[in-house]
Amino acid sequence: MKFDMTLALADKPGQLLRALEPIAKNGGNIISIIHERDKPVEGYVPVSLVVDFPSRQNFRNAINELKNLGIAVIKSEEVVEKVRLTFILIGITDLKKIIESRIEGVEIIGLEILTPSLNKVSIKLDVETHAEAVNILVDHLRRLAEDQNALLIAPIYA
Amino acid sequence: MRLLIVGFGFIGRELVKALRDKMSFLRSIDRDFKVVGIVDSKGYLYNGKGIDIDDLNKITRLSEHRDYKLGGTALDLLGQNLCDIMVEATPTNIKDGEPGLTHIRLALSRGIHVITPNKGPLVLAFRELMNLAERNECALLYEGAVAGAIPVFSLVRECLQGDKIVRLSGILNGTTNYILSRMFFEEISFEIALKEAQEKGIAERDPSYDIDGIDAACKLVILANALMGREARLNDVRIVGIRGITQEAISLAKRANYAIKLIGTIDRGLEVAPKLVPINHPICVHGTLNAIHIETDLAREITLVGYGAGKETISAILNDLITVLRKRGMSKFSSPKIV
Ligand SMILES: NC(=O)c1ccc[n+]([C@@H]2O[C@H](COP(=O)([O-])OP(=O)(O)OC[C@H]3O[C@@H](n4cnc5c(N)ncnc54)[C@H](OP(=O)(O)O)[C@@H]3O)[C@@H](O)[C@H]2O)c1
Repeated sequence: MKFDMTLALADKPGQLLRALEPIAKNGGNIISIIHERDKPVEGYVPVSLVVDFPSRQNFRNAINELKNLGIAVIKSEEVVEKVRLTFILIGITDLKKIIESRIEGVEIIGLEILTPSLNKVSIKLDVETHAEAVNILVDHLRRLAEDQNALLIAPIYA
Repeated sequence: MRLLIVGFGFIGRELVKALRDKMSFLRSIDRDFKVVGIVDSKGYLYNGKGIDIDDLNKITRLSEHRDYKLGGTALDLLGQNLCDIMVEATPTNIKDGEPGLTHIRLALSRGIHVITPNKGPLVLAFRELMNLAERNECALLYEGAVAGAIPVFSLVRECLQGDKIVRLSGILNGTTNYILSRMFFEEISFEIALKEAQEKGIAERDPSYDIDGIDAACKLVILANALMGREARLNDVRIVGIRGITQEAISLAKRANYAIKLIGTIDRGLEVAPKLVPINHPICVHGTLNAIHIETDLAREITLVGYGAGKETISAILNDLITVLRKRGMSKFSSPKIV
């Protein structure tokens, strides 16, 4: 899993190498690094990194070891991978329930409704979600559909 | 080898046609190959020296044949040492598998190789029948039972011997695919597309077995057990059919570059349900075509496309037959092992 981190390094030689040690030791694989040596702020140089760690525990260990070395960690957060998914719901009677669904990490980014000749409403729902929330989202929509006697059509690999 | 054909309906008759056309090829593999018996629901034809295959092709009902024995059953013939291979092509019955299940059990227990397009016995008793075949050192081949002419079992058995299948998905029912394709391309309603399919003989008068997803679910169970070593039963499949699909839903999907397809998936669980499939995905085939998408650890992705029913199914049955004829005299048959 990927993490976005910004460290403040003292503006003297050898600091970057010293900071990379705990990252490498904990299995971190550096995906990108921006070292702004020409922009020191009060004697510190900001370094921004995106690192792929084998687990959250490895990431936490690296952060602790950096702190123990006296390196200031200005920012450290997980980079969440987002996926866009499209769903179709047929026969929903209470649209509000769908729009008001609050699932952590899920955002409705598009909604298209066709009210038809017959009495069944067909809805296309576009969502952006954290990869980890996909199962929760599908279960949630499935339950909503079942409650309203509607049919959920999910993407083939969701 | 001596062949017994049980069932002289659509499949039985089409098989007899293909045997006539390919007889000299079959005899080049096995000089002694002959059809010794054919059975329908009311009687049979038996001739130990071989039934004249041209005569057979002149009749549509078995009882029209001069040697037809009214009242005889497949069990009579299987009970004696009269054949080496049985093609079991009686109607699929998913309640108790009969009469196919009894025919197949008896044949295998007597060491007779079995080839069958009949899903019922395989859905209900796959493991039991495979074990029985292995114990009696004979083959149980069923390529025609799932996705008709698509050689999915042969492909995995012969060409993916070291791969582990991690996920499988497919369009496993031609009738529903035809209906959904007509709705997609012609922008007609489900009801009209179904009626059209019935008029063309693609859907049955009672279409529920197809459109409610049961047929696809049966095939999924066989695939899961045969290719992925599962112990799945029909009850384990979450099934949603295509009855509720509106024209509006299809056009919403289409505008976003998706088609709605009835998809069977074997992942952690088994599911048959209408799904949104990107129109450029290899599985997104139309008309009565079927498609199977296999994901494995080594080959990663393989997609097979072909006709899932109709006389194309004979291709699968004939290939199974040739497999048995070629293996004659070779060491014992054993069921494929799951990696
Ligand atoms: N049709 C296809 O495209 C297709 C494709 C793939 C798989 N399959 C499977 O292949 C099998 C045969 O299909 P089909 O289309 O040929 O069916 P079908 O036309 O209904 O023929 C069934 C045949 O089985 C005979 N039969 C019924 N009970 C019997 C019994 N107790 N003993 C001996 N014979 C018996 C029937 O006898 P009568 O003639 O006396 O009624 C008939 O000849 C089915 O399991 C089907 O699911 C079919």
